[in-house]
Amino acid sequence: MTEGEAADVTAADAALAVPVWDLPVRLFHWALVALIAASWWSAEYHHTQWHLWSGYLVLFLLLFRTLWGFVGSSTARFASFVRGPRGVFDYLRKKGWTRIGHTPLGALSVVALLALTAAQVGFGLILVDEDGEWAGPLNKFVDFDTGELAHTIHEALFNVLLGFIILHVAAILYYRLRGKHLLRAMVRGTATLPAGTEPLVRAKPIRLLLALLVAGAVTLWIVFGAPPFRP
Amino acid sequence: MTKLLIATALLTLAACGGGGDQTNATLNQANASGAEATAAVENAVVNTADTPLERQQAVALMRKRHEGYEQIGKAMRAAKQGIDRNDPAAVKSAADRIATLAPQAIGWFPAGTGPEAGKTGAKAEIWQQRAEFDRGMQAFQGAARNFQEAAASGDIARMKTAQANLGKTCGSCHDRFRTKDD
Repeated sequence: MTEGEAADVTAADAALAVPVWDLPVRLFHWALVALIAASWWSAEYHHTQWHLWSGYLVLFLLLFRTLWGFVGSSTARFASFVRGPRGVFDYLRKKGWTRIGHTPLGALSVVALLALTAAQVGFGLILVDEDGEWAGPLNKFVDFDTGELAHTIHEALFNVLLGFIILHVAAILYYRLRGKHLLRAMVRGTATLPAGTEPLVRAKPIRLLLALLVAGAVTLWIVFGAPPFRP
Repeated sequence: MTKLLIATALLTLAACGGGGDQTNATLNQANASGAEATAAVENAVVNTADTPLERQQAVALMRKRHEGYEQIGKAMRAAKQGIDRNDPAAVKSAADRIATLAPQAIGWFPAGTGPEAGKTGAKAEIWQQRAEFDRGMQAFQGAARNFQEAAASGDIARMKTAQANLGKTCGSCHDRFRTKDD
C-alpha cells in the first residue's frame, strides 16, 4: 500500500508516510459520497423507496460517525479538531501547521457538512410528500403543516448542501495546487509528513463494533417509527 | 489571507439558504384571486381561449382545478398520517373527502385549459392523449371508491393497502401528465 509512496518518501528526505485517517473514517466518507449521490438520483427520478433506503443508510452513517467522534481513533474525535473562533483565527494567522487530522478551518467545513446532512435526514424523517403516498417514519409525530414545511425545507436544503460540497471539493483542489494531497490521504489513509509528526492513535476494534451496533440499533428503531412511542 | 477568503465564502454560502421554491409563491398567488372567478365558470363550457372572456373563464377553471387537487392532496396526506397513527376515524373522513372529489376531477380538464392558457402543472399530453388520460381518471375514481370502502371497514391493514394503491394511481398519472414539482 505504501510502495507507491516510497519514492516520495525518499525524495522528500526527512518526510514519512504516516497514517492519518483510520479505515472507519474513510469508509464513512466514501459511503456518504455514494449515498448522497444515490439520494439525489432516487429523488430526481422518483424511485422513492430507494430514496428512503438511501436516507436510512445516511442516518446510520451519521449516527456511527457521531459515536466515532467520541470513541474513535484520534483524528476522528471531535475533541481533537473542533475549535472555537479563536482557534480558527490563530490557525489563519500563523503559518506552519504540521499536525495530522483536520485543521481548525477544515473542521468548520466538516461540522457544517455533517450538520447539514443531519438536518437533511431529520427533515426527511418527518416530511410527507405531496400526494400522501410517502411519509417519513416519524411524520406521525408532527402536525400537518410541519410535515408540509419539512418537505419544502428538505427540497431547498439540498441545494445548500450541494453548495457546501462544491466548496469542500474546491478547497481540496486549492490545497492540491499548493502541494497537499488531501484526496490521496482520504483514499489511502496516509499522508507524507515531516518526521516527528504526532502519530494517529487507532481505536480498538471492540469500540468499532460497539459503535456500529449502537448506530445500527438506533437506526432500526427510528425506521420502525420509534416504538413504543405513539403520537 | 486565502484561508480568510475561504472562510468568508463559507459564511456567504450559509447566508443564502432559502433559495428553492418559487413555484409555491406563484401557486399561492393563483389561489388568492381564484375564488371570485371560479363562480363564473360553473355553467360555462370552455373550449377555446380566443376571446378575453373565454380566457378569463379558462384561468378561473384552472384555479378551481388547482384548489381541487390541493384538497385531494391534503386529504391523502391526512389519510397517510391517520394510517401511521392508527386512527381509523381520521382515515375515514379523509377517504370520504377524496371519494367526493375524485369524480369531479375529470371535469376539470376541458380543452383550452392547458399550458397555452396560463401557468399550470397540466401537460399538453392530457389533450393529446385524451383516451389514456380518461382511463387514468377512471382508475383514480375506482381506487378512491375502494379506499372509501376500506376506510369504512375499520380495518387499518386494509386501509393501508387501499391507500397505497390509490397513491400509485395518483403517481402514475402525475408522472405522465403533470410537470414536475406541481
